Amino acid sequence: MIVNESIVSLGISLLALFFAGFLATKINQSLTAVFIVVGMILQNFFPVTIITEFIATLGIIFMLFMFGLEFSLGSLFNNKKKIFYTGTCDLLFNFPLGLFLGWLLGYDLMETLLLAGIIYVTSSVIVAKSIIDLKRSANSETGYLLNVLIFEDMFIATFLAFIVGIINYGHIDAKGTFFVMVKTTAFFLFFVILSKASKKLKFIDKLIDIEHTELFVILILSIIVLSAGAAAQIGLSEAIGAFLAGLLLSETRQRHRIAEAIKPFQQFSTAIFFVAFGMSIDYKHVISLIPMGIFIFIITSFSKAFGGYFIGKRYALSKRASLRLGFSLIPRGEFSIILAGVISMNPHVPYPLKALTGIYVLLCAVLGSIIMKESDLFTKWFIEKKDT
Amino acid sequence: MSEIKECDLPGIGKKFTLELDSNDTLVVVIHSSGEREVFKFVKNDDEPTSVTTLTDKESRQIGAILSGTYFKPVIEEEQKLAMKNVTMEWIKIEFNSMLANKTIEELDIRKKTGVTITTIIRGETVIPNPPSTEIIRPQDTVIIVGSNEQVENFISTYEIKHMIKNDCQ
Repeated sequence: MIVNESIVSLGISLLALFFAGFLATKINQSLTAVFIVVGMILQNFFPVTIITEFIATLGIIFMLFMFGLEFSLGSLFNNKKKIFYTGTCDLLFNFPLGLFLGWLLGYDLMETLLLAGIIYVTSSVIVAKSIIDLKRSANSETGYLLNVLIFEDMFIATFLAFIVGIINYGHIDAKGTFFVMVKTTAFFLFFVILSKASKKLKFIDKLIDIEHTELFVILILSIIVLSAGAAAQIGLSEAIGAFLAGLLLSETRQRHRIAEAIKPFQQFSTAIFFVAFGMSIDYKHVISLIPMGIFIFIITSFSKAFGGYFIGKRYALSKRASLRLGFSLIPRGEFSIILAGVISMNPHVPYPLKALTGIYVLLCAVLGSIIMKESDLFTKWFIEKKDT
Repeated sequence: MSEIKECDLPGIGKKFTLELDSNDTLVVVIHSSGEREVFKFVKNDDEPTSVTTLTDKESRQIGAILSGTYFKPVIEEEQKLAMKNVTMEWIKIEFNSMLANKTIEELDIRKKTGVTITTIIRGETVIPNPPSTEIIRPQDTVIIVGSNEQVENFISTYEIKHMIKNDCQ
């Protein structure tokens, strides 16, 4: 009975996603934002079921797996100096600001850390798509922009593992922090060593060298889910397990075949993940949170834009290119939502983190893409103002 | 000739930058999807003046044309060298040509003029080393080879008017 109702509601959700997404692509809007809105509307009609929740969990796992798979360890090592510098600038411009805002909003330490992560991490999905759509892949600032995104993804993946580790431990103290750090590092090292060894000895290449399409998909799925499960077993986030599994498989020759095979699963489950997030945002809270959302959006857009501008100037880009780099960092998306989802809602604070993140990500994803697209208008305004 | 700079665009593809002699910059981005984008930047500008998007197939065709494997322009030096001994001539067959609608055997070109027909180009098809039973049709392009005198002989014997120069086919 529960299953039947779940299936029907899942079907309705998917149909709603299709129509909303169809309209969104017509006006060139990011799907992430639209899917969350669909979820917020659908919560009036049926509750989040176990099935939706399960698929949403898979959504995080597959999303992080794809990040890992498309993550280029090679370019991380080749450009480590540049990536480290640009990434650190961006981190220093935004992360501390998040901590400050968290303190201002009266959050506890955990929520403050999460908020800092939420406002810090730019959506690599939205930005990468916009770069391609706006034909900016050859622009001088694009290389630096992508370097920043690599650093952010790596940082947030580690951050997520650490935060979930702490949450599972129960509370923040020196012993727990140390314990979780050791665990996280050990888990990372295990995968890095495995990946290095496999690159030399090719044993993973041999393991997954299966022609049979169905068996191939099943084997890859088992690797993903087992890695996620292993991470969850030792008290880290299952997302990080999936991310590392992706990194591991990205070094194999079958990389493209894996991406092709997993993509449909990822697209389906990630969409449901965004819907489930939208459904979990308390409808009544949302309206009263809009002013605060706008306030945080404006402040953090400035910090992102200045951080980007600073990086561009440091590498002797033109004023216009530097500003474009800054404006391109404004969209937030998937990672912010994953971060907001890791703790259960605390109804006692005046600005519930999950609902606030919902509003914030909607603003950043929608307005951020528009700002990125129309960055010429803003740069012109900025340059003229400075010159006069 | 300047060097081609290569760099990764993680999540997008690979970028190749070439500084041209004209001081403009040409950038080719190969997307992971196989699509290519060709950007042209005028000196000191950080926004492209033109963008061309090509599919995988289209870029291969363009690439072949650019590299000269699709059609090789005859470089003057080589042409001069060839001129000393041998000439190759592209000849378009008119409707009223003396050569039209006859087999090579019938025409007895080799015996009369010393020239050899190496290739017949008929629309999209190319017939290399055509057999002597092959009929030359109007609208064909015939490639002949011979010494300078032989080719001149051929041209006067068959009253050829339309020759296609090697370098402007």
